[in-house]
Amino acid sequence: MGCPPNCGLASGKPLHKITRFEHEPISAISTNALLSPFPSVLYFMINFLLRRLLALLFVLLIVSVLVFFLMNAVPGGPFSLGERGYTPDALANLERKYGLDKPVWERYLNFLRGAVVLDFGDSFAVAGNPPVTAVIARVWPITLHVGLYTIIVSFGLGFIFGLVAAYYRNGWIDNVVTLIATAGTAVPNFIIATWLLLIFGYQIGWGQPSKWIIPPILGTGNAILSWDYFLPVITYALLPLGLVARYTRASVSDALNADYVRTARAKGLSERSIMFRHVLRNAMIPIITVVLPQIPNLLTGSLFIEVVYGINGLGKFFVTSITNKDYPMIMGLVLLIAFFWSITYLVTDILYALIDPRIRVGGRSRA
Amino acid sequence: MTEATNVIPLRPPTERRQQRSLLGDAVRRFARNRLAMIGFFILVFLFFLAIFADVIAPYPVDRADFNAVRVLPFTNSAYPLGTDNVGRDYLTRLIYGARTSMLVGLLVPLIGFSVGVTLGALAGYLGGTMDFIVQRLIEVFTAVPPLLIALFMLSVTGSGVGNIIFVLSVTAWIESARLTRAQFLTIREKEFVTSARALGATDARMILTHMLPNIITPLLVSFTFAVPAAIFAEAGLSFLGLGITEPTASWGKMVGSSIGNTIRVYYHLALFPTILVALTMLGFSFVGDGLQEALDPTRSR
Amino acid sequence: MMSSRRARAFAALLIGAVLLAAVVPLFAQDNVDVYGRPLPDDSAPYADQVWTQLCDSTRTESSLSSVVSVYTRICGDAQVFDRFGDSLVDLDENLNLIPAAAESWSVSEDGLTWTFNLRPGQVWSDGTPLTMNDYVASYRFMVDPVNAYDFVWMWQGTIAGWSEAVAGEIPPEEIGMVAVDDLTLEVTTDGPAPYLPGTLYFWPPLQAAALAEFGPDYLLDPATAVSSGPFILTEFVPGDRVIIEANPTYNGYRKPFLREMRGIYGDQLNGSFLAFQNYDIDQVSYVHLSPADFEIVAADPVLSANYRPNFGDFRTDYLLFDTFTAPFDDVNVRLAFAKALDREAIVANVVGEQFAIPAYSFLAPGFPASDTDGSLQSIQGFDCPAAQQLLADAGYADGAGFPAQELKLRGESESRANWFVAAAASISDCLNVDITVNNQEFSAYMEGLLARPTTTQFGAVSYGMDYLDPSNMLGVWVSTGRHSWRNAEFDTLVEEANNFTGDPMERLEMYKAAERILVEDVGGIFLLHRIQGNLFQPYIAGECFRPDNQGVGALHWGNDWCWGSFYITADVANYPTYRSR
Repeated sequence: MGCPPNCGLASGKPLHKITRFEHEPISAISTNALLSPFPSVLYFMINFLLRRLLALLFVLLIVSVLVFFLMNAVPGGPFSLGERGYTPDALANLERKYGLDKPVWERYLNFLRGAVVLDFGDSFAVAGNPPVTAVIARVWPITLHVGLYTIIVSFGLGFIFGLVAAYYRNGWIDNVVTLIATAGTAVPNFIIATWLLLIFGYQIGWGQPSKWIIPPILGTGNAILSWDYFLPVITYALLPLGLVARYTRASVSDALNADYVRTARAKGLSERSIMFRHVLRNAMIPIITVVLPQIPNLLTGSLFIEVVYGINGLGKFFVTSITNKDYPMIMGLVLLIAFFWSITYLVTDILYALIDPRIRVGGRSRA
Repeated sequence: MTEATNVIPLRPPTERRQQRSLLGDAVRRFARNRLAMIGFFILVFLFFLAIFADVIAPYPVDRADFNAVRVLPFTNSAYPLGTDNVGRDYLTRLIYGARTSMLVGLLVPLIGFSVGVTLGALAGYLGGTMDFIVQRLIEVFTAVPPLLIALFMLSVTGSGVGNIIFVLSVTAWIESARLTRAQFLTIREKEFVTSARALGATDARMILTHMLPNIITPLLVSFTFAVPAAIFAEAGLSFLGLGITEPTASWGKMVGSSIGNTIRVYYHLALFPTILVALTMLGFSFVGDGLQEALDPTRSR
Repeated sequence: MMSSRRARAFAALLIGAVLLAAVVPLFAQDNVDVYGRPLPDDSAPYADQVWTQLCDSTRTESSLSSVVSVYTRICGDAQVFDRFGDSLVDLDENLNLIPAAAESWSVSEDGLTWTFNLRPGQVWSDGTPLTMNDYVASYRFMVDPVNAYDFVWMWQGTIAGWSEAVAGEIPPEEIGMVAVDDLTLEVTTDGPAPYLPGTLYFWPPLQAAALAEFGPDYLLDPATAVSSGPFILTEFVPGDRVIIEANPTYNGYRKPFLREMRGIYGDQLNGSFLAFQNYDIDQVSYVHLSPADFEIVAADPVLSANYRPNFGDFRTDYLLFDTFTAPFDDVNVRLAFAKALDREAIVANVVGEQFAIPAYSFLAPGFPASDTDGSLQSIQGFDCPAAQQLLADAGYADGAGFPAQELKLRGESESRANWFVAAAASISDCLNVDITVNNQEFSAYMEGLLARPTTTQFGAVSYGMDYLDPSNMLGVWVSTGRHSWRNAEFDTLVEEANNFTGDPMERLEMYKAAERILVEDVGGIFLLHRIQGNLFQPYIAGECFRPDNQGVGALHWGNDWCWGSFYITADVANYPTYRSR
């Protein structure tokens, strides 16, 4: 149930925190709300989501301001000064072409005007200067594809490895898993890629029909599965695999050693029941915290993987748009990322509440 | 008249039993854990290398012998571990690399964790507005590209180890903040918290002595990952021309300069620094595991 | 009357002859190109005449034509751009100017008006004829301020009205380039410019009509990409591939034997040699060969026979200073640094003798007005004791009190950065000064270098020619150039020589004198002259490899005609190349 607000007074020492929580945010669940019938919970959920949406917009605005001014403060620009530089006239022409002759705040306002209708302008660095949204729409699917396979492999295997290692803790299985996990994260992926390429031969031209295993569903686009996917996915998955394995091992073994497990065993519950109903639930919190953010990471790709394997995806743009000073692309990508991550954090919070009903996000402690 | 001699003498009341503190217990448990001690000695060794590099290393770090470029290891007694592409002794580079990499690999996670755990604890424990602010901070810092921050910082303050550490720390606090927050959200509902509060514990005492030790497991794991992550993040920055300037050595950079065919013949350029980074990570892993076991009295061995 | 048996035999013979007549030409046509010319005797079937290169997927890219942009060419380090037209002039293997689209040119008495004559009969792929209007339209496009062309400096001070048009003072139509008629172009210059034809190597033209209707991006879409050159665009997917194939309507000077050229995007910097070893691409440039790669090449007789070095664009790598502020405002300090640099050892060991020769002056051997008798060598030559003495004379005995320096590099690759790390180590070893090396990003470096006052106190950079004349190379050192170094005598000499119309030998002597001043006043410390080169697959052949005056057979810089001469030999069947996969 929880201590009524004046419970601390019994000890003679007032709990100074109480006064601070007298004015609780509306979104915090009160015990009453939980006991009330269904519509209240729905009201809470909608309220919660609305608040988070507003917060999201707020974050997007702040991020856009920060990044816009930051990227303009960095030396260098979207055009190269070439080998011999330019006369003031030629330089003025170049600046005018890229819109750099206007003051920064004016350019930001122009950007904002476009951004609210999801028009981030035309890319400086892609041939033909297509709109940023068109570029992202064209190259993101392939990155998503590779990322999805990486998630399946790394999370799936990592989770299994971690569980097994936690269960047979300090046994030889545990040591093997720890070693693999360590190797996966301590050896950088470009070394792994180099060795894989030396072993399997470096073939250019990613995604050729000759290598398809399962052709594309709709007849166009990327194959569902192709031999080309194996090396990039292996290289990309090693780090998250190690991460997932280690965290799973740590959390699950933590939970396995808890009192309630001993109690459950004493009561005679089956191992399986213990694992799934008790241990995993309690172990999931830290796993979700660390593992879920890998998803947006993997789904937005990696520069290195895409350059080495020649994948025409989105990942490389996160670095190249900054080094090439492709301002519209930088803004588009940053806002995309901000959106993506905020959603991820939101999902994480919701999952927390689902897994452990004692957690209420957005409110204060009930105790 | 003889007295009964089988009287058990009582301990003199003045003699007190030796205090056994929690910390003492933990240290003892740690010392008994073989893997943990291995990890500990690995770390001591690496710290030793880092601190006494000037004394141990056979040559100055920037000394280049142009007649001994790309010497293979174990072939030349003057250069036992070979030389790099510019003719600098690799053993020296590795030793000095320990200094840079340990500095970056330790300080960045430490700074990150100090800030992150504090913010995460406050957010998770206090909830409400504090949680809101910290969450938004997390989202903003996640979205701003670290590369951009690095470019900006380095243009303003120039390159150098200190600046690199600062740049990397800016994003290093996020994960620990989220972890701590998540754990606090769980823990603050637990019974021992309620009872502690009922006993009148202040917030600070609550956080520091009751809650933190219970959430230490995932934080330790996170730390052991953060160390090599920082080392390779620094290497990544170096490739883009933003990192540590030559002739400063760093393992991450040394690994990265050996891409391609170079590895086939001059394997030492990549192998040795990689081994050392892996060793660092293993050291922290074992120590972390050991600490985890040592600090948790309920854990079975 | 014939018996039925005989009749049947006769019918069979007739049918057989007809079939043979139908089939044999099919076989014979296997080794004929799209222009109907027979391929060389030792060539592979026409289906195998494909050339593949690797493109860099991390660069800014804008166009397949240099008229639109030079520094952001699509697949810039490969050879698929600028294939859709012919420049007015071309270069042969001795870097002499030869006719390309123009069949002849002449200059007026006063040296101010040049007349170029277009070879008749050349057409665009949409059937319209190629005229001088297209060239004029292209140059007007380049000078138009609206387009903010990135190579616009090339003709500033040369073509009449160019600088004014760039500044927007006169419209592009009023520059000194006029199409007198469809086949004749008149170019007017500001002053006598003997080097002008060389500058008209730049570039193959865009079509005036397409430019007017679609804008410069017409070249990116196969539907609108007309070509008057040897190739025509088939497919372009940004970041994925560029495919061009032989243009059947081409009627110019360099008809290709190749059927198709492809640029595939990938890891150009680190993966080129691996892809080459896997027979996925047909050529690797020296830029993408690491020292370890080259050791593999050198150890293999076939590979080393197919590595073809040449001087390329006579590129020199050098160190530069901010000579307007201390401590490098003192020429003795600069000279001390120059003499503390052990070029020979660095080139022999760190760079590799197959990649460079030590440099003591700016103009590389073979370049007009370069130091042929070695008289400039002793000025900046390695002499550590002398260097130490010079530094002591300047007030920094044994490096004491000398401020720590940061040598800035311009976005160099790993291998090249090592050259300068070695240079810094050599100088700091001899003079006992602290030098760190900072590999900056390309545009950040240039911005710092060109800023006035410059923020690059000590830096390293390279320069290669744009056309074969000292006015181009030495022109980068005049006080209006990119370096923070000023020498009035140097400026005067170069200016005079640029406009000198008298005896060419005398002109070269003027440039030599200017270079001597540059070396003596240590505008820069010259480290090395690059030996460039390309590694080809063993089954590549062509007239391109005929030896030049020095006996060197290679893909020389600027030799556009080569791409008409390359072909794949029948030997390709012995290798597991991408053609057979």
